[in-house]
Amino acid sequence: MLPKGLEKQINILDFSLMSLWRRKLKNLGIMFVFALVIFLLGSFQMLTGALTNSAQAVLKNTPDITIQKMSAGRQEAIPLAHAEKLHSIYGIRAIIPRVWGYYFDESKLANYTIMALEHDSMPYGNNLNLTLAYGHFPKKTEIGKAVIGRSVHDILGLDKRRIFSLFRPDLTLKSFEVIGVFSQQTDLLSNDLIIMNLTDARDLFHIPELMATDICVYVTNPTEIETIAKKIAGLLPDTRVLTKSQIQKTYQVVFSWRSGLASICLLTALAAFAILAWDKASGMSPEEKREIGILKILGWETGDILAVRFWESVLVSVLAFLFGCTGAYIHVAFFDASLLKPIMVGWSVIYPSFKLLPSVTLADLLLIFTFSVLPYLGATVIPAWRSATVPPDSAIR
Amino acid sequence: MLIELENTIKIYNQGKPNEVIALKGIDLEIEDNTMICFQGASGSGKSTLLAIIGCVFPPTSGRASIAGKKLSRMPDRFLTIHRREKIGFIFQQFNLLPRLSVLDNITLPLLPLGISPHERKTRARKLMNQLSISHKENFPAAQISGGEMQRVAIARALINNQPIILADEPTAHLDSALSIEFMQIMVDLKESGKTVIIASHDSLVSEHPAIDKIINIKDGRIHVP
Amino acid sequence: MFLNSWSLGLTLAGLIILALGVFACRTAVRILRYWNPQSDSNLQIKLENEIWLASTLVEYGLGFQILSVVLFVLAADTFCQVIVGAMCATGALLANSYGMPALLVKLAGIFVYGFWIVLHKLDISSETYPLVRIKYIYLLFILPLLVADITLQTLYISFLSPDIITSCCAVVFGSSDKTGPNLLEGFSQATTIFLYYGTVIALTAMGYLLLKRWLVLLAALFSAGWIWFLGLAAIAIITVFSSYIYAMPYHNCPFCILKPEYNYIGFALYFTLIPASFFGLTTVLVEPFKTMNNLAGAVEKYQRGAISFSLILLLLLTALSSYHFLLYRISGGE
Repeated sequence: MLPKGLEKQINILDFSLMSLWRRKLKNLGIMFVFALVIFLLGSFQMLTGALTNSAQAVLKNTPDITIQKMSAGRQEAIPLAHAEKLHSIYGIRAIIPRVWGYYFDESKLANYTIMALEHDSMPYGNNLNLTLAYGHFPKKTEIGKAVIGRSVHDILGLDKRRIFSLFRPDLTLKSFEVIGVFSQQTDLLSNDLIIMNLTDARDLFHIPELMATDICVYVTNPTEIETIAKKIAGLLPDTRVLTKSQIQKTYQVVFSWRSGLASICLLTALAAFAILAWDKASGMSPEEKREIGILKILGWETGDILAVRFWESVLVSVLAFLFGCTGAYIHVAFFDASLLKPIMVGWSVIYPSFKLLPSVTLADLLLIFTFSVLPYLGATVIPAWRSATVPPDSAIR
Repeated sequence: MLIELENTIKIYNQGKPNEVIALKGIDLEIEDNTMICFQGASGSGKSTLLAIIGCVFPPTSGRASIAGKKLSRMPDRFLTIHRREKIGFIFQQFNLLPRLSVLDNITLPLLPLGISPHERKTRARKLMNQLSISHKENFPAAQISGGEMQRVAIARALINNQPIILADEPTAHLDSALSIEFMQIMVDLKESGKTVIIASHDSLVSEHPAIDKIINIKDGRIHVP
Repeated sequence: MFLNSWSLGLTLAGLIILALGVFACRTAVRILRYWNPQSDSNLQIKLENEIWLASTLVEYGLGFQILSVVLFVLAADTFCQVIVGAMCATGALLANSYGMPALLVKLAGIFVYGFWIVLHKLDISSETYPLVRIKYIYLLFILPLLVADITLQTLYISFLSPDIITSCCAVVFGSSDKTGPNLLEGFSQATTIFLYYGTVIALTAMGYLLLKRWLVLLAALFSAGWIWFLGLAAIAIITVFSSYIYAMPYHNCPFCILKPEYNYIGFALYFTLIPASFFGLTTVLVEPFKTMNNLAGAVEKYQRGAISFSLILLLLLTALSSYHFLLYRISGGE
């Protein structure tokens, strides 16, 4: 036996379902438009979430501090001798030189990012292998080996072959053997990436021995990053010192700013929808009015009719929410948010394609809920109350 | 006394330019287990009187006691609760919800009472059997005949076992055969202990032998010829 | 930091709640001015209908407010990613002086709206609506709270800037390091646990006695006990239970338990603690209305329901909060 109050709500819910179904054309129409708005909102939220996740997955492995040599406001190669000066700073765990740059493939008309570092001397360096779909990063001794991003693999047309060649500045060829490919999760940042040995990179770009493009510093205690960065800046005045959190937060701010701007645009759509909902809910047909009059004279209280209207709104909005969110997930996960990506990802022109893996949390869903269901329920309260206060004697006049 | 009215006055739109005095002081007593007929032209205040007896709204002034409850100015909610326990309505146009099935129409008054679907069905089926409309259980109310609609309306008025049945011009849309049949059902109801009040100017009703009393309403008052 | 979907969501929710509140208060003013239960005029009938509007608006407002509190905490949790030094919601909320007050005002809102609904339910159970005036004067006082709520929230968001360095929960609630002011230093774990379970037992006993035999003084003690318990449970969750949930002795944070990593257990804890305290607290608050016209029965019914409900929730809370703690004790730390 259920308690009477609960049984009553179930009865009323049941009646609301019937009543929605009786006006299916109107209600399905509203639901469709609503689901569409939620779909757009949800796609946006999930897209930013996915982008932030991919960025974080990769940025997790960025060095705590990056040092670049500046000359006339531009970055230039940094001598490894700079690194020696840092040994006096207490709290540094490892100092690793890095070479990175861009390589333009004229035959394929594609831009690759080349990166080289001694990953085996990095703290947790072996964790980097986890970002690969298969294979491992080239060790110090493995000359002529490379790890490549997924779209590099496609552009080079490697298929099952493992050997590819790049031109040195003097147009001589240098060949590489692929020993690993990045996994999908890190597509955003690893798509165009070629990772190789420091020696190979210096050879490819003709960078002199004992030089690098930048120096990465790893710190023992994360809370000391800022302090150590300040010390480094003092010791090496001709350099620019970047901390990990600065880089991460820059990404975050850009993403959240863009999604905020996009939300504003979507809010307009939402407002239009709320007006539509209000209008639809308040336009009571004589038939509806008569129906409420009958129910009231048969002993339905104003509160019961309000409950009917409440359940109707909840059913419409929650169903629309489920459809919209499911659609958005499919859109982001399987179609790479193709409708929205051009707005969100400015660099999608450079990165030909990358897979998005949305991770939907309760928080994301709650946010989408706030943006969609809340205004809908809010917009339908007063029309619902209007219809609930139809006097019972309207059925006998 | 089941129903007692004393100097009952009802004024619509009180204090406004469109003020209407519908009842100008009604004194009326109706005993338990009787069958009463209200007569009166449209605009005579007959419907208003029926609405007050049916606890649809309270009188503006005067005493009105319906089935043990004094109706004074009170929030709509309490009238409603009293109404659904004591009064069964049968309307002129039947007032069924056309797109709901016969069963769903009959059980409408039970939904806000928190009665389970199983119990609702049991009660409705019993009534449908008595009124021989069981075969139409799942038909939409719009797709049954006038006589059947009338029976559905009767079943709905009885579903919560209310002691008072109010019928407003119930035979207006029925032919004479169906009207006679309707009156027979009403007689059965009276015999089962209910009080039946019918507002009608159909002679088939007013001249029916089972009617205990005819009350004439004219210009907002009870007219004694 | 307005150009962020969380800020916009919070502002939207706040504005909707405010709009509902303003409409409800409009009704309140009309009812306080024109309410006349004896009259049969159209205005009185309209006002009777508007009572339904006001109550529906406040009910929606309560629902939205609960959502808004959750949203606020989750938003803070997201903001911490852009605030230097913040690692969870605690840091983000402490990033400026409006965060914590905003959260507290929001939580207070839940109690205040909830109690209004209790009053309303009691009121409409009597034909004379004896609480009409009290109820609507009270409703008018809700409006300033709503305004305070949205103002604090807006101030919090607008003064939130990614450049300000704040403290993470390890500094604020931690007990090991000497890196900063510790909010809850001086609360020893053993004492807290002892008080926590002691209060649980005391409340259960009092509630049980009250269900057997009604004593106003005991009821007052019971409700006061719930206020004490609300604070105590919050401290116990922060200083003791959370670190067992995190399985890290020095991680004490009231917000991180809301994260998916910990199976959202924080929601279960807070969603039992807060309603339980609400019902416990309101048990004695409705006592004065017993003397009102025809309300004694309804008030008594509510009190019995509230006591039973708060005890059931208390039982659940005890089970939920003790789970990780006992698991750790029994399994010996693994």
